[in-house]
Amino acid sequence: MIAAVSGLSSHKQWLWLGALVCLLPIVLALNLFLGASELSPMEVIRTLLAGSGQEHVVRVIWELRLPRAIAAALIGSQLALAGFMLQSLTRNPLADSGLLGISAGASLGAVLVVVGAGTLSSGVAVYEQGESVLASLPAAALLGGLLSAVLVYGLSGASALTPLRLILTGVVCAAILNALVTGLLGLWGQAHTETIAAWLAGSLNGRSWEHLNVLLPWSALGLLAAILIYRPMRLLRLVDEQALSLGLNLSLWRLLTIATATLLTASAVAVSGPIGFIGLVVPHLAQGFAPGHMALQYLITAIAGAVIVLAGDLAGRLVLAPYELPVGVLAALIGVPTFLYLLRRQP
Amino acid sequence: MSLSAENVRLGYDGQVIVPELSVKIPRHKVTALIGPNGCGKSTLLKSLAGLLKPYSGGVSIDNHPLASMSRRELALKLAFLPQKPQAPESIRVRDLVGYGRFPYQGLMRGASAEDKKIVRWAMNETGVESYAERPIEALSGGQQQRVWIAMAIAQKAEILLLDEPTTFLDWGHQLEVLELLERLNTESGLTVVMSLHDLNQAAQYSDNVLAMKEGALIAKGAPTDVINADLLREVFRVEAECLIGKSGKPHSIAHSSVHKAQQSREAGPHNATPSEALF
Repeated sequence: MIAAVSGLSSHKQWLWLGALVCLLPIVLALNLFLGASELSPMEVIRTLLAGSGQEHVVRVIWELRLPRAIAAALIGSQLALAGFMLQSLTRNPLADSGLLGISAGASLGAVLVVVGAGTLSSGVAVYEQGESVLASLPAAALLGGLLSAVLVYGLSGASALTPLRLILTGVVCAAILNALVTGLLGLWGQAHTETIAAWLAGSLNGRSWEHLNVLLPWSALGLLAAILIYRPMRLLRLVDEQALSLGLNLSLWRLLTIATATLLTASAVAVSGPIGFIGLVVPHLAQGFAPGHMALQYLITAIAGAVIVLAGDLAGRLVLAPYELPVGVLAALIGVPTFLYLLRRQP
Repeated sequence: MSLSAENVRLGYDGQVIVPELSVKIPRHKVTALIGPNGCGKSTLLKSLAGLLKPYSGGVSIDNHPLASMSRRELALKLAFLPQKPQAPESIRVRDLVGYGRFPYQGLMRGASAEDKKIVRWAMNETGVESYAERPIEALSGGQQQRVWIAMAIAQKAEILLLDEPTTFLDWGHQLEVLELLERLNTESGLTVVMSLHDLNQAAQYSDNVLAMKEGALIAKGAPTDVINADLLREVFRVEAECLIGKSGKPHSIAHSSVHKAQQSREAGPHNATPSEALF
């Protein structure tokens, strides 16, 4: 009977994957078609195909909606994959990039730049220097995220780290870094509270090609690494002695897995600000769709991450139009109940 | 391929468990490691498997020190099954056994036809092929243990080390696992080294017994030469009687712990001798 059930479910697994693969272009298209400024579908299609049209339409599609949609898809995939990697690495289903302090480190980097710029050039009106500060946010966040991952890795014992030590160190470091962010904002952040609060909420508002240019090289590198580490990463879920005796250089592949997860997370957070729960929930969702089939879970994680952030951003733009709900807020609102539901379903 | 440890000093975090020990594991034989809890059986097994670096001395396979081999090279020669293996959640038996082929695969290359053939062979040998598509959690303890052994033999290493492979199994499943190892040994010449708690099983299923006490090797050799009343008293602190069974292997029956025997002797004053009173 169990054989029959698992036969059925493996059939269902491919169905889910097929549905997701179809869903991705649909959500992507919806993100281009729908939004605050009402454009007719024909206008959108014509602009996309011809690359030209009415100036207003070209601007909305090419400068606003398209880069934003691409960023949403990439960021969703990256956060979800990083969550999958960290859950494998720590053998802990509750792990995600919040855990390693990567998000917190990235936030600190961003806040430091904004506050620092404000303090150094207090004579200049804030709105005048606003543009240049915003442009340097991604780089600062990326640097902050990478540094905090190095810190957590080092404090966990570097090549001698154990999953448990990594989790504990990560949680402690994340708490300290987040406290520093709050402290900085409270002391010197008054003039920029709005800018920073919007970024910390995890938002894709106004993300343009400029942001994508920061993100793309890291995305390419991170996603390539994600493919390359997949086979060794599977063995990280066994106990250490088994992985070692199967010929895995454990400390090397742990380091490479952490490095890849950091790359994917820090570059994503640098552009959108911290978006929680994607890395935590999506791998569980994938496990629900394809129980026991890890390769399929990995693939579903990547696609579902993109679909969910795209859908979340679209919903955020539409529900309160013309105002926007940050995708980070929606992710938490949807992510937490989903997670609780998945938790209850577990035996 | 012969595995040997020479003057190894072993322990964890600076705490020495095995002060100095040398042992040679005979090829194509089943070796059982016996001794009380904490005597260093697991520690010795881990160092033989290259999982625990000795403080001094060294372990080698055919005179190649393990320390000079990469993990992958070692995995081609030696497989190890820990006491409490752990599987990724709801992984299918076939995929788990397939992990045994990891040392033969690259980063991008998946299972070759050869790999698939060997995985089928390993499942067939261990009698788990009918569960191939099931998640590991759906199996009983004995079935799971056979899956782990299937994964280990799919590695196609000549030496298989097992840390207490029968501890969490019921009696029938214990025998099934031991019979499986015995068969793998006789059919394909697999060298087996395992730690066991049950002396009678150690005697029945092994060619070679290593008895350990407090980090030292007390006795080694054929079961009939090693397992006797004196050894059981010294190593396990058990008063027992050892009979030679129909199979020609020693069979031990425990009477009492040495502790209790002493107590009852002390209680009867006519038996108490000065030397015993010292204990």
